[in-house]
Amino acid sequence: MPAIRAEGLRKTFVTRRKAAGLRGSLRALFHPDRQTVEAVRGISFEMEEGELLGFIGPNGAGKSTTIKMLTGILYPTAGQATVLGFVPWEQRQQLAYRIGTVFGQRPQLWYHLPAIDTFYLFGKIYELDDRTIRRRIAFLAEAFEIEHLLETPVRKLSLGQRMRCEIAASLLHHPRLLLLDEPSIGLDVVAKQRIRDTIRRMNELEGVGVLLTSHDAGDIEALCRRVIIINHGQIVYQDKVSALKRRYLTSKLVEVRYAHQVPRDFRVEGTQVLKIGRYGVKLRFDTRQTPVEAVIARLAEAGNLVDVTISDPSLEEVIRTIYQEQAEP
Amino acid sequence: MTMRRELTFLLALWKANLLSAMEYRAAFISQVIGMMLNNAVYFAFWVIFFDRFQEVRGWGLDEMLLLFAVVAVSFGLGVYLFGNVMRIAEAIANGRLDYYLSLPRPVLLHLLASRSIASGFGDFLYGLICFAVAGRWTPDAVARFVVGSLLSMIVFLSFLILVQSLAFWMGSATLVSAQAANALLTFSLYPITLFDGTAKFLLFTILPAAFIGAVPAEFVRTFSWSTLAHLLLAASLLLALAVALFQRGMRRYESGSAIQVQV
Repeated sequence: MPAIRAEGLRKTFVTRRKAAGLRGSLRALFHPDRQTVEAVRGISFEMEEGELLGFIGPNGAGKSTTIKMLTGILYPTAGQATVLGFVPWEQRQQLAYRIGTVFGQRPQLWYHLPAIDTFYLFGKIYELDDRTIRRRIAFLAEAFEIEHLLETPVRKLSLGQRMRCEIAASLLHHPRLLLLDEPSIGLDVVAKQRIRDTIRRMNELEGVGVLLTSHDAGDIEALCRRVIIINHGQIVYQDKVSALKRRYLTSKLVEVRYAHQVPRDFRVEGTQVLKIGRYGVKLRFDTRQTPVEAVIARLAEAGNLVDVTISDPSLEEVIRTIYQEQAEP
Repeated sequence: MTMRRELTFLLALWKANLLSAMEYRAAFISQVIGMMLNNAVYFAFWVIFFDRFQEVRGWGLDEMLLLFAVVAVSFGLGVYLFGNVMRIAEAIANGRLDYYLSLPRPVLLHLLASRSIASGFGDFLYGLICFAVAGRWTPDAVARFVVGSLLSMIVFLSFLILVQSLAFWMGSATLVSAQAANALLTFSLYPITLFDGTAKFLLFTILPAAFIGAVPAEFVRTFSWSTLAHLLLAASLLLALAVALFQRGMRRYESGSAIQVQV
Protein backbone atom coordinates (compact mmCIF):
# COMPACT_ATOMS: atom_id res chain seq x y z
CA MET A 1 0.00 0.00 0.00
CA PRO A 2 1.42 3.40 -0.88
CA ALA A 3 2.12 5.79 2.01
CA ILE A 4 0.38 8.60 0.14
CA ARG A 5 -2.14 8.37 -2.65
CA ALA A 6 -3.61 11.64 -3.96
CA GLU A 7 -6.13 11.81 -6.76
CA GLY A 8 -7.28 15.05 -8.33
CA LEU A 9 -6.68 17.15 -5.21
CA ARG A 10 -7.99 20.68 -5.61
CA LYS A 11 -8.12 23.65 -3.32
CA THR A 12 -9.66 26.99 -4.13
CA PHE A 13 -9.71 30.03 -1.89
CA VAL A 14 -12.08 32.94 -2.20
CA THR A 15 -10.32 36.26 -1.79
CA ARG A 16 -11.51 39.83 -1.94
CA ARG A 17 -9.98 42.29 -4.32
CA LYS A 18 -9.99 45.97 -3.70
CA ALA A 19 -8.55 48.97 -5.49
CA ALA A 20 -5.92 51.07 -3.74
CA GLY A 21 -6.83 53.86 -1.35
CA LEU A 22 -9.87 54.95 0.63
CA ARG A 23 -12.16 55.07 -2.40
CA GLY A 24 -11.26 51.46 -3.20
CA SER A 25 -11.96 50.42 0.39
CA LEU A 26 -15.36 52.16 0.38
CA ARG A 27 -16.32 50.59 -2.92
CA ALA A 28 -15.24 47.15 -1.64
CA LEU A 29 -17.40 47.66 1.43
CA PHE A 30 -20.62 47.92 -0.61
CA HIS A 31 -19.65 45.98 -3.74
CA PRO A 32 -17.06 43.41 -2.69
CA ASP A 33 -15.20 41.99 -5.65
CA ARG A 34 -14.70 38.34 -4.76
CA GLN A 35 -12.19 36.32 -6.69
CA THR A 36 -11.59 32.59 -6.68
CA VAL A 37 -7.95 31.59 -6.52
CA GLU A 38 -7.07 28.03 -7.46
CA ALA A 39 -4.10 27.20 -5.24
CA VAL A 40 -4.02 23.49 -6.17
CA ARG A 41 -5.52 22.36 -9.49
CA GLY A 42 -5.97 18.61 -9.59
CA ILE A 43 -2.83 17.02 -8.20
CA SER A 44 -2.43 13.23 -8.42
CA PHE A 45 0.56 11.23 -7.24
CA GLU A 46 1.66 8.28 -5.14
CA MET A 47 4.45 7.89 -2.64
CA GLU A 48 5.79 4.56 -1.38
CA GLU A 49 6.51 3.82 2.29
CA GLY A 50 10.06 4.79 3.26
CA GLU A 51 10.54 6.83 0.09
CA LEU A 52 12.36 10.17 0.00
CA LEU A 53 10.17 12.30 -2.24
CA GLY A 54 10.86 15.90 -3.14
CA PHE A 55 8.09 18.34 -3.84
CA ILE A 56 9.48 21.47 -5.37
CA GLY A 57 8.19 24.58 -6.99
CA PRO A 58 8.53 28.34 -6.77
CA ASN A 59 6.83 30.41 -4.05
CA GLY A 60 3.04 30.27 -4.38
CA ALA A 61 3.10 27.09 -6.50
CA GLY A 62 0.76 25.22 -4.11
CA LYS A 63 3.30 23.07 -2.23
CA SER A 64 2.28 24.09 1.28
CA THR A 65 -1.44 23.91 0.45
CA THR A 66 -0.95 20.33 -0.78
CA ILE A 67 0.96 19.36 2.38
CA LYS A 68 -1.74 20.99 4.52
CA MET A 69 -4.41 18.91 2.80
CA LEU A 70 -2.33 15.75 3.28
CA THR A 71 -1.95 16.42 7.01
CA GLY A 72 -5.64 17.24 7.54
CA ILE A 73 -5.10 20.94 8.21
CA LEU A 74 -7.17 21.96 5.18
CA TYR A 75 -10.25 20.42 3.61
CA PRO A 76 -9.80 20.03 -0.14
CA THR A 77 -12.32 21.61 -2.48
CA ALA A 78 -12.34 18.39 -4.53
CA GLY A 79 -10.38 15.19 -4.95
CA GLN A 80 -9.36 12.31 -2.73
CA ALA A 81 -6.32 11.32 -0.73
CA THR A 82 -5.20 8.69 1.73
CA VAL A 83 -2.12 8.99 3.89
CA LEU A 84 -1.02 5.73 5.57
CA GLY A 85 -4.54 4.48 4.83
CA PHE A 86 -6.31 7.43 6.51
CA VAL A 87 -8.32 10.20 4.89
CA PRO A 88 -6.43 13.16 6.42
CA TRP A 89 -9.28 15.65 6.80
CA GLU A 90 -11.65 13.02 8.23
CA GLN A 91 -9.24 11.05 10.42
CA ARG A 92 -6.85 13.82 11.38
CA GLN A 93 -6.15 12.69 14.94
CA GLN A 94 -5.49 9.02 14.08
CA LEU A 95 -3.18 10.14 11.28
CA ALA A 96 -1.33 12.65 13.46
CA TYR A 97 -0.18 9.82 15.78
CA ARG A 98 1.60 8.23 12.80
CA ILE A 99 3.12 11.17 10.95
CA GLY A 100 5.53 13.94 11.88
CA THR A 101 5.28 17.43 10.45
CA VAL A 102 7.68 20.34 10.33
CA PHE A 103 6.73 23.67 8.83
CA GLY A 104 9.83 25.82 8.34
CA GLN A 105 7.87 29.02 8.88
CA ARG A 106 5.86 27.79 11.84
CA PRO A 107 7.84 26.65 14.86
CA GLN A 108 6.44 23.90 17.08
CA LEU A 109 8.87 24.34 19.95
CA TRP A 110 7.75 26.62 22.77
CA TYR A 111 9.70 29.82 22.25
CA HIS A 112 10.51 30.66 25.87
CA LEU A 113 11.26 27.13 27.04
CA PRO A 114 14.31 24.91 26.48
CA ALA A 115 13.64 22.36 23.72
CA ILE A 116 13.73 19.50 26.22
CA ASP A 117 10.56 20.82 27.92
CA THR A 118 8.67 20.80 24.61
CA PHE A 119 10.03 17.30 23.94
CA TYR A 120 8.49 16.09 27.22
CA LEU A 121 5.24 17.92 26.43
CA PHE A 122 5.13 16.24 23.01
CA GLY A 123 5.73 12.92 24.77
CA LYS A 124 2.52 13.53 26.74
CA ILE A 125 0.68 14.72 23.61
CA TYR A 126 1.62 11.49 21.82
CA GLU A 127 0.89 9.48 24.99
CA LEU A 128 4.37 7.98 25.39
CA ASP A 129 5.36 6.72 28.82
CA ASP A 130 8.16 8.50 30.68
CA ARG A 131 10.76 5.78 30.09
CA THR A 132 10.10 5.69 26.35
CA ILE A 133 10.29 9.50 26.12
CA ARG A 134 13.62 9.62 27.96
CA ARG A 135 15.16 6.92 25.77
CA ARG A 136 13.83 8.47 22.59
CA ILE A 137 15.11 11.94 23.51
CA ALA A 138 18.57 10.49 24.27
CA PHE A 139 18.62 8.71 20.90
CA LEU A 140 17.46 11.73 18.89
CA ALA A 141 19.75 14.13 20.76
CA GLU A 142 22.71 12.01 19.69
CA ALA A 143 21.50 11.50 16.12
CA PHE A 144 20.85 15.22 15.60
CA GLU A 145 23.90 16.34 17.65
CA ILE A 146 21.75 18.54 19.84
CA GLU A 147 22.68 17.23 23.33
CA HIS A 148 24.31 20.55 24.22
CA LEU A 149 21.32 22.59 22.94
CA LEU A 150 18.48 20.85 24.72
CA GLU A 151 18.58 22.92 27.90
CA THR A 152 18.93 26.32 26.22
CA PRO A 153 15.73 28.35 25.77
CA VAL A 154 14.64 28.05 22.13
CA ARG A 155 14.66 31.84 21.69
CA LYS A 156 18.44 31.76 22.18
CA LEU A 157 19.15 29.12 19.50
CA SER A 158 20.30 29.94 15.98
CA LEU A 159 17.87 29.16 13.14
CA GLY A 160 19.87 26.07 12.11
CA GLN A 161 20.06 24.76 15.69
CA ARG A 162 16.37 25.38 16.18
CA MET A 163 15.46 23.57 12.98
CA ARG A 164 17.47 20.49 14.07
CA CYS A 165 15.53 20.51 17.34
CA GLU A 166 12.23 20.98 15.43
CA ILE A 167 12.88 17.93 13.23
CA ALA A 168 13.99 15.87 16.24
CA ALA A 169 10.72 16.84 18.01
CA SER A 170 8.69 15.69 15.01
CA LEU A 171 10.32 12.23 15.24
CA LEU A 172 9.69 11.66 18.96
CA HIS A 173 6.71 9.35 18.40
CA HIS A 174 8.39 7.11 15.75
CA PRO A 175 6.31 8.39 12.83
CA ARG A 176 6.21 6.30 9.65
CA LEU A 177 6.09 9.41 7.50
CA LEU A 178 7.66 12.83 7.88
CA LEU A 179 6.23 15.82 6.04
CA LEU A 180 8.71 18.66 5.90
CA ASP A 181 7.58 21.99 4.49
CA GLU A 182 10.55 24.19 3.61
CA PRO A 183 12.80 22.93 6.44
CA SER A 184 15.83 24.74 5.04
CA ILE A 185 14.22 28.16 4.59
CA GLY A 186 16.55 30.92 5.71
CA LEU A 187 19.44 28.58 6.58
CA ASP A 188 23.05 29.05 5.51
CA VAL A 189 24.86 26.43 3.41
CA VAL A 190 26.44 24.60 6.37
CA ALA A 191 23.20 24.44 8.37
CA LYS A 192 21.32 23.22 5.28
CA GLN A 193 23.84 20.44 4.79
CA ARG A 194 23.56 19.28 8.41
CA ILE A 195 19.77 19.15 8.17
CA ARG A 196 19.96 17.19 4.92
CA ASP A 197 22.47 14.70 6.39
CA THR A 198 20.33 14.08 9.46
CA ILE A 199 17.13 13.57 7.47
CA ARG A 200 18.90 11.05 5.23
CA ARG A 201 20.30 9.26 8.27
CA MET A 202 16.90 8.95 9.94
CA ASN A 203 15.49 7.57 6.69
CA GLU A 204 18.24 4.93 6.62
CA LEU A 205 18.05 4.12 10.35
CA GLU A 206 14.29 3.99 10.87
CA GLY A 207 12.89 3.72 7.36
CA VAL A 208 10.78 6.83 7.88
CA GLY A 209 9.36 8.11 4.59
CA VAL A 210 10.02 11.77 3.87
CA LEU A 211 7.97 14.14 1.75
CA LEU A 212 9.99 17.30 1.51
CA THR A 213 8.91 20.58 -0.04
CA SER A 214 11.39 23.23 -0.98
CA HIS A 215 11.89 26.05 -3.39
CA ASP A 216 15.59 25.14 -3.42
CA ALA A 217 16.43 22.47 -6.01
CA GLY A 218 19.66 21.79 -4.04
CA ASP A 219 17.65 20.26 -1.15
CA ILE A 220 16.03 17.75 -3.44
CA GLU A 221 19.22 17.00 -5.37
CA ALA A 222 21.05 16.19 -2.13
CA LEU A 223 18.30 14.21 -0.47
CA CYS A 224 15.58 12.72 -2.63
CA ARG A 225 15.40 9.87 -5.09
CA ARG A 226 12.23 11.05 -6.78
CA VAL A 227 10.97 14.53 -7.42
CA ILE A 228 7.68 16.19 -8.25
CA ILE A 229 7.79 19.72 -9.64
CA ILE A 230 4.68 21.79 -9.11
CA ASN A 231 3.88 25.15 -10.64
CA HIS A 232 0.66 27.17 -10.59
CA GLY A 233 -1.00 24.35 -8.61
CA GLN A 234 -0.26 21.62 -11.14
CA ILE A 235 2.37 18.91 -11.48
CA VAL A 236 4.65 19.83 -14.36
CA TYR A 237 7.21 17.06 -13.90
CA GLN A 238 7.67 13.87 -11.89
CA ASP A 239 10.55 11.46 -12.24
CA LYS A 240 13.72 10.27 -10.54
CA VAL A 241 16.07 13.00 -9.33
CA SER A 242 18.84 11.40 -11.40
CA ALA A 243 16.71 11.93 -14.52
CA LEU A 244 16.02 15.54 -13.53
CA LYS A 245 19.73 16.14 -13.01
CA ARG A 246 20.60 14.51 -16.30
CA ARG A 247 18.06 16.51 -18.23
CA TYR A 248 17.70 19.86 -16.50
CA LEU A 249 20.35 20.40 -13.83
CA THR A 250 23.19 20.08 -16.29
CA SER A 251 24.62 23.54 -15.89
CA LYS A 252 26.05 25.40 -12.92
CA LEU A 253 26.61 29.07 -12.30
CA VAL A 254 29.93 30.34 -10.89
CA GLU A 255 30.57 33.75 -9.46
CA VAL A 256 34.21 34.62 -8.76
CA ARG A 257 35.94 37.61 -7.26
CA TYR A 258 39.60 38.39 -7.81
CA ALA A 259 42.00 40.51 -5.77
CA HIS A 260 42.83 42.47 -8.93
CA GLN A 261 40.88 43.99 -11.80
CA VAL A 262 39.46 41.57 -14.36
CA PRO A 263 40.37 42.17 -18.05
CA ARG A 264 37.41 42.95 -20.32
CA ASP A 265 38.25 39.97 -22.57
CA PHE A 266 38.30 37.47 -19.67
CA ARG A 267 37.72 33.90 -20.91
CA VAL A 268 37.95 30.43 -19.30
CA GLU A 269 37.93 27.30 -21.38
CA GLY A 270 34.75 25.19 -21.13
CA THR A 271 32.64 28.02 -19.68
CA GLN A 272 30.39 30.75 -20.98
CA VAL A 273 30.98 34.21 -19.53
CA LEU A 274 27.67 35.84 -18.55
CA LYS A 275 28.87 39.05 -16.96
CA ILE A 276 32.16 40.81 -16.29
CA GLY A 277 32.46 43.35 -13.50
CA ARG A 278 35.47 45.30 -12.29
CA TYR A 279 36.72 42.56 -9.94
CA GLY A 280 34.18 39.79 -10.50
CA VAL A 281 32.95 37.49 -13.23
CA LYS A 282 29.81 35.38 -13.61
CA LEU A 283 30.04 32.24 -15.73
CA ARG A 284 27.96 29.23 -16.68
CA PHE A 285 29.26 25.78 -17.58
CA ASP A 286 27.85 22.38 -18.52
CA THR A 287 28.82 19.74 -15.92
CA ARG A 288 28.53 16.96 -18.52
CA GLN A 289 31.34 18.52 -20.54
CA THR A 290 33.44 20.33 -17.93
CA PRO A 291 33.82 18.96 -14.38
CA VAL A 292 33.52 21.41 -11.47
CA GLU A 293 37.12 20.84 -10.32
CA ALA A 294 38.46 21.64 -13.79
CA VAL A 295 36.58 24.98 -13.82
CA ILE A 296 37.85 25.88 -10.34
CA ALA A 297 41.44 24.99 -11.31
CA ARG A 298 41.23 27.14 -14.45
CA LEU A 299 39.72 30.06 -12.54
CA ALA A 300 42.50 29.82 -9.94
CA GLU A 301 45.12 29.81 -12.71
CA ALA A 302 43.60 32.99 -14.14
CA GLY A 303 44.44 35.11 -11.09
CA ASN A 304 44.44 35.63 -7.34
CA LEU A 305 40.99 34.33 -6.19
CA VAL A 306 39.20 36.02 -3.27
CA ASP A 307 35.80 34.34 -3.39
CA VAL A 308 33.97 31.63 -5.39
CA THR A 309 30.23 30.76 -5.30
CA ILE A 310 28.82 27.83 -7.26
CA SER A 311 25.04 27.50 -7.60
CA ASP A 312 22.42 25.54 -9.51
CA PRO A 313 20.19 27.22 -12.05
CA SER A 314 17.11 28.62 -10.33
CA LEU A 315 14.01 26.52 -10.13
CA GLU A 316 12.22 29.06 -12.31
CA GLU A 317 14.84 28.43 -14.99
CA VAL A 318 14.35 24.64 -14.76
CA ILE A 319 10.56 25.04 -14.98
CA ARG A 320 10.92 27.36 -17.97
CA THR A 321 13.00 24.69 -19.74
CA ILE A 322 10.42 22.00 -18.90
CA TYR A 323 7.61 24.17 -20.29
CA GLN A 324 9.62 24.87 -23.43
CA GLU A 325 10.18 21.15 -23.97
CA GLN A 326 6.50 20.35 -23.36
CA ALA A 327 5.45 23.07 -25.80
CA GLU A 328 7.63 21.64 -28.54
CA PRO A 329 5.80 19.06 -30.69
CA MET B 1 -10.85 6.81 29.88
CA THR B 2 -11.07 9.68 27.36
CA MET B 3 -11.59 12.17 30.22
CA ARG B 4 -8.50 10.85 31.99
CA ARG B 5 -6.43 11.05 28.77
CA GLU B 6 -7.48 14.64 28.16
CA LEU B 7 -6.86 15.57 31.79
CA THR B 8 -3.31 14.17 31.62
CA PHE B 9 -2.82 16.17 28.44
CA LEU B 10 -4.20 19.35 30.06
CA LEU B 11 -1.95 18.88 33.09
CA ALA B 12 1.08 18.61 30.78
CA LEU B 13 0.08 21.84 29.00
CA TRP B 14 -0.51 23.69 32.27
CA LYS B 15 2.89 22.50 33.48
CA ALA B 16 4.52 23.87 30.30
CA ASN B 17 2.71 27.19 30.83
CA LEU B 18 3.97 27.33 34.40
CA LEU B 19 7.53 26.57 33.25
CA SER B 20 7.21 29.38 30.67
CA ALA B 21 6.02 31.79 33.37
CA MET B 22 8.94 30.76 35.60
CA GLU B 23 11.32 31.93 32.88
CA TYR B 24 10.10 35.45 33.68
CA ARG B 25 9.35 35.27 37.39
CA ALA B 26 9.47 39.02 38.08
CA ALA B 27 6.99 39.74 35.26
CA PHE B 28 4.67 37.00 36.54
CA ILE B 29 4.67 38.24 40.14
CA SER B 30 4.23 41.90 39.15
CA GLN B 31 1.25 41.03 36.92
CA VAL B 32 -0.39 39.02 39.70
CA ILE B 33 0.09 41.77 42.30
CA GLY B 34 -0.85 44.50 39.80
CA MET B 35 -4.16 42.83 39.00
CA MET B 36 -5.00 42.33 42.70
CA LEU B 37 -4.38 46.05 43.35
CA ASN B 38 -6.43 46.98 40.29
CA ASN B 39 -9.37 44.90 41.57
CA ALA B 40 -9.01 46.34 45.08
CA VAL B 41 -9.25 49.91 43.75
CA TYR B 42 -12.34 48.99 41.72
CA PHE B 43 -14.01 47.35 44.70
CA ALA B 44 -13.19 50.35 46.91
CA PHE B 45 -15.78 52.27 44.86
CA TRP B 46 -18.52 49.85 45.97
CA VAL B 47 -17.36 50.01 49.61
CA ILE B 48 -17.76 53.82 49.52
CA PHE B 49 -21.07 53.49 47.66
CA PHE B 50 -22.62 51.06 50.16
CA ASP B 51 -21.28 53.09 53.06
CA ARG B 52 -23.61 55.90 51.91
CA PHE B 53 -26.62 53.99 50.53
CA GLN B 54 -26.57 50.73 52.54
CA GLU B 55 -28.34 48.80 49.77
CA VAL B 56 -29.58 48.95 46.19
CA ARG B 57 -32.80 47.05 45.53
CA GLY B 58 -31.96 44.43 48.11
CA TRP B 59 -28.20 44.22 47.35
CA GLY B 60 -25.67 45.22 49.99
CA LEU B 61 -21.90 44.91 50.42
CA ASP B 62 -22.19 41.24 51.38
CA GLU B 63 -23.91 40.40 48.07
CA MET B 64 -21.33 42.45 46.16
CA LEU B 65 -18.46 40.62 47.88
CA LEU B 66 -19.85 37.25 46.84
CA LEU B 67 -20.52 38.52 43.31
CA PHE B 68 -16.94 39.76 43.03
CA ALA B 69 -15.63 36.51 44.51
CA VAL B 70 -17.44 34.37 41.95
CA VAL B 71 -16.67 36.57 38.91
CA ALA B 72 -13.01 37.09 39.84
CA VAL B 73 -12.41 33.37 40.46
CA SER B 74 -14.33 32.38 37.31
CA PHE B 75 -12.63 34.93 35.03
CA GLY B 76 -9.21 34.57 36.70
CA LEU B 77 -9.15 30.79 36.55
CA GLY B 78 -10.56 30.86 33.01
CA VAL B 79 -7.85 33.07 31.56
CA TYR B 80 -5.10 31.54 33.69
CA LEU B 81 -5.83 27.95 32.63
CA PHE B 82 -7.26 28.68 29.16
CA GLY B 83 -5.47 31.92 28.27
CA ASN B 84 -5.90 31.62 24.52
CA VAL B 85 -9.64 32.14 24.99
CA MET B 86 -8.93 35.82 24.33
CA ARG B 87 -7.06 35.03 21.10
CA ILE B 88 -9.23 32.51 19.27
CA ALA B 89 -10.36 35.01 16.62
CA GLU B 90 -6.78 36.13 16.05
CA ALA B 91 -5.57 32.52 15.76
CA ILE B 92 -8.26 31.77 13.16
CA ALA B 93 -7.55 34.91 11.14
CA ASN B 94 -3.75 34.44 11.21
CA GLY B 95 -3.78 30.73 10.37
CA ARG B 96 -2.34 29.82 13.76
CA LEU B 97 -4.58 26.76 14.10
CA ASP B 98 -2.18 24.83 11.81
CA TYR B 99 0.00 24.02 14.81
CA TYR B 100 -2.86 22.44 16.75
CA LEU B 101 -4.22 20.66 13.69
CA SER B 102 -0.93 18.90 13.07
CA LEU B 103 -0.94 17.35 16.56
CA PRO B 104 -3.22 14.49 17.59
CA ARG B 105 -5.34 16.31 20.17
CA PRO B 106 -8.68 18.17 20.17
CA VAL B 107 -7.89 21.49 18.49
CA LEU B 108 -10.07 23.74 20.64
CA LEU B 109 -8.91 22.32 23.97
CA HIS B 110 -5.28 22.37 22.87
CA LEU B 111 -5.54 25.95 21.65
CA LEU B 112 -7.28 27.22 24.79
CA ALA B 113 -4.85 25.66 27.25
CA SER B 114 -1.66 26.55 25.34
CA ARG B 115 -1.41 29.95 26.93
CA SER B 116 -1.73 31.27 30.41
CA ILE B 117 -2.48 34.88 31.33
CA ALA B 118 -0.54 35.62 34.50
CA SER B 119 -2.81 38.44 35.67
CA GLY B 120 -5.64 35.89 35.77
CA PHE B 121 -3.93 34.32 38.75
CA GLY B 122 -4.15 37.72 40.46
CA ASP B 123 -7.91 37.82 39.76
CA PHE B 124 -8.23 34.28 41.09
CA LEU B 125 -6.45 35.12 44.36
CA TYR B 126 -8.47 38.31 44.70
CA GLY B 127 -11.68 36.31 44.30
CA LEU B 128 -10.59 33.92 47.05
CA ILE B 129 -9.86 36.86 49.35
CA CYS B 130 -13.33 38.34 48.63
CA PHE B 131 -14.92 35.00 49.49
CA ALA B 132 -12.89 34.77 52.70
CA VAL B 133 -13.89 38.32 53.68
CA ALA B 134 -17.57 37.54 53.01
CA GLY B 135 -17.19 35.11 55.92
CA ARG B 136 -19.22 32.14 54.67
CA TRP B 137 -16.84 29.48 55.82
CA THR B 138 -19.18 26.53 56.16
CA PRO B 139 -18.31 23.43 54.08
CA ASP B 140 -21.67 23.79 52.29
CA ALA B 141 -20.96 27.36 51.21
CA VAL B 142 -17.41 26.48 50.10
CA ALA B 143 -18.74 23.59 47.99
CA ARG B 144 -21.38 25.89 46.45
CA PHE B 145 -18.69 28.51 45.77
CA VAL B 146 -16.53 25.94 43.95
CA VAL B 147 -19.45 24.61 41.86
CA GLY B 148 -20.84 28.08 41.15
CA SER B 149 -17.46 29.49 40.09
CA LEU B 150 -16.68 26.52 37.83
CA LEU B 151 -20.07 26.72 36.09
CA SER B 152 -19.62 30.49 35.74
CA MET B 153 -16.19 29.85 34.18
CA ILE B 154 -17.73 27.43 31.66
CA VAL B 155 -20.34 30.04 30.67
CA PHE B 156 -17.65 32.72 30.34
CA LEU B 157 -15.34 30.52 28.22
CA SER B 158 -18.19 29.22 26.06
CA PHE B 159 -19.51 32.69 25.29
CA LEU B 160 -16.06 33.87 24.18
CA ILE B 161 -15.58 30.76 22.03
CA LEU B 162 -18.98 31.39 20.42
CA VAL B 163 -18.30 35.03 19.61
CA GLN B 164 -14.78 34.45 18.37
CA SER B 165 -15.72 31.50 16.19
CA LEU B 166 -17.48 34.07 14.02
CA ALA B 167 -13.98 34.78 12.67
CA PHE B 168 -14.36 31.64 10.53
CA TRP B 169 -17.13 33.46 8.63
CA MET B 170 -16.20 37.11 9.12
CA GLY B 171 -12.45 36.77 8.56
CA SER B 172 -11.66 38.97 11.51
CA ALA B 173 -13.63 39.13 14.74
CA THR B 174 -10.94 40.45 17.06
CA LEU B 175 -12.63 43.78 17.79
CA VAL B 176 -16.11 42.27 18.22
CA SER B 177 -14.62 39.68 20.58
CA ALA B 178 -12.86 42.30 22.71
CA GLN B 179 -16.07 44.32 22.97
CA ALA B 180 -18.12 41.23 23.83
CA ALA B 181 -15.66 40.20 26.56
CA ASN B 182 -15.68 43.70 28.06
CA ALA B 183 -19.45 43.94 28.00
CA LEU B 184 -19.80 40.48 29.55
CA LEU B 185 -17.44 41.32 32.39
CA THR B 186 -18.87 44.78 33.02
CA PHE B 187 -22.49 43.64 33.22
CA SER B 188 -21.65 40.58 35.33
CA LEU B 189 -20.23 42.87 38.03
CA TYR B 190 -23.41 44.94 38.62
CA PRO B 191 -26.22 43.97 41.02
CA ILE B 192 -28.73 42.13 38.83
CA THR B 193 -31.61 43.90 40.60
CA LEU B 194 -30.60 47.11 38.82
CA PHE B 195 -31.91 45.67 35.56
CA ASP B 196 -35.41 44.73 34.57
CA GLY B 197 -37.46 44.14 31.44
CA THR B 198 -35.50 43.92 28.20
CA ALA B 199 -32.12 44.56 29.82
CA LYS B 200 -32.61 41.66 32.21
CA PHE B 201 -33.78 39.42 29.37
CA LEU B 202 -30.62 40.27 27.39
CA LEU B 203 -28.38 39.46 30.37
CA PHE B 204 -29.90 35.99 30.56
CA THR B 205 -29.70 35.32 26.81
CA ILE B 206 -27.64 37.20 24.21
CA LEU B 207 -25.08 38.52 26.70
CA PRO B 208 -25.28 35.87 29.44
CA ALA B 209 -23.64 38.00 32.14
CA ALA B 210 -26.26 36.91 34.68
CA PHE B 211 -24.96 33.32 34.51
CA ILE B 212 -21.43 34.52 35.19
CA GLY B 213 -22.17 36.78 38.14
CA ALA B 214 -25.65 37.08 39.66
CA VAL B 215 -26.97 33.51 39.32
CA PRO B 216 -23.87 31.67 40.65
CA ALA B 217 -23.49 34.31 43.41
CA GLU B 218 -27.13 33.69 44.39
CA PHE B 219 -26.38 29.94 44.41
CA VAL B 220 -23.42 30.50 46.77
CA ARG B 221 -25.66 32.54 49.08
CA THR B 222 -28.50 30.02 49.34
CA PHE B 223 -28.82 26.57 47.88
CA SER B 224 -31.72 25.98 45.54
CA TRP B 225 -32.23 23.14 43.09
CA SER B 226 -33.80 25.49 40.58
CA THR B 227 -30.80 27.89 40.59
CA LEU B 228 -28.44 24.93 40.18
CA ALA B 229 -30.57 23.56 37.33
CA HIS B 230 -30.56 26.95 35.58
CA LEU B 231 -26.81 27.23 35.93
CA LEU B 232 -26.17 23.69 34.72
CA LEU B 233 -28.52 24.16 31.79
CA ALA B 234 -26.95 27.47 30.74
CA ALA B 235 -23.39 26.13 31.06
CA SER B 236 -24.01 22.91 29.17
CA LEU B 237 -26.10 24.56 26.45
CA LEU B 238 -23.57 27.32 25.82
CA LEU B 239 -20.65 24.88 25.88
CA ALA B 240 -22.36 22.55 23.41
CA LEU B 241 -23.21 25.49 21.13
CA ALA B 242 -19.67 26.89 21.34
CA VAL B 243 -17.99 23.56 20.52
CA ALA B 244 -20.45 22.88 17.68
CA LEU B 245 -19.95 26.32 16.12
CA PHE B 246 -16.16 26.04 16.38
CA GLN B 247 -16.20 22.57 14.77
CA ARG B 248 -18.49 23.81 12.02
CA GLY B 249 -16.18 26.75 11.42
CA MET B 250 -13.13 24.47 11.19
CA ARG B 251 -14.38 23.26 7.81
CA ARG B 252 -13.99 26.82 6.55
CA TYR B 253 -10.53 27.30 8.07
CA GLU B 254 -8.15 28.67 5.47
CA SER B 255 -4.77 28.42 7.21
CA GLY B 256 -2.18 31.04 6.25
CA SER B 257 1.43 31.50 5.32
CA ALA B 258 2.52 34.14 7.82
CA ILE B 259 5.78 33.49 9.65
CA GLN B 260 4.76 32.55 13.15
CA VAL B 261 6.29 32.35 16.56
CA GLN B 262 4.90 30.04 19.22
CA VAL B 263 4.57 31.82 22.56
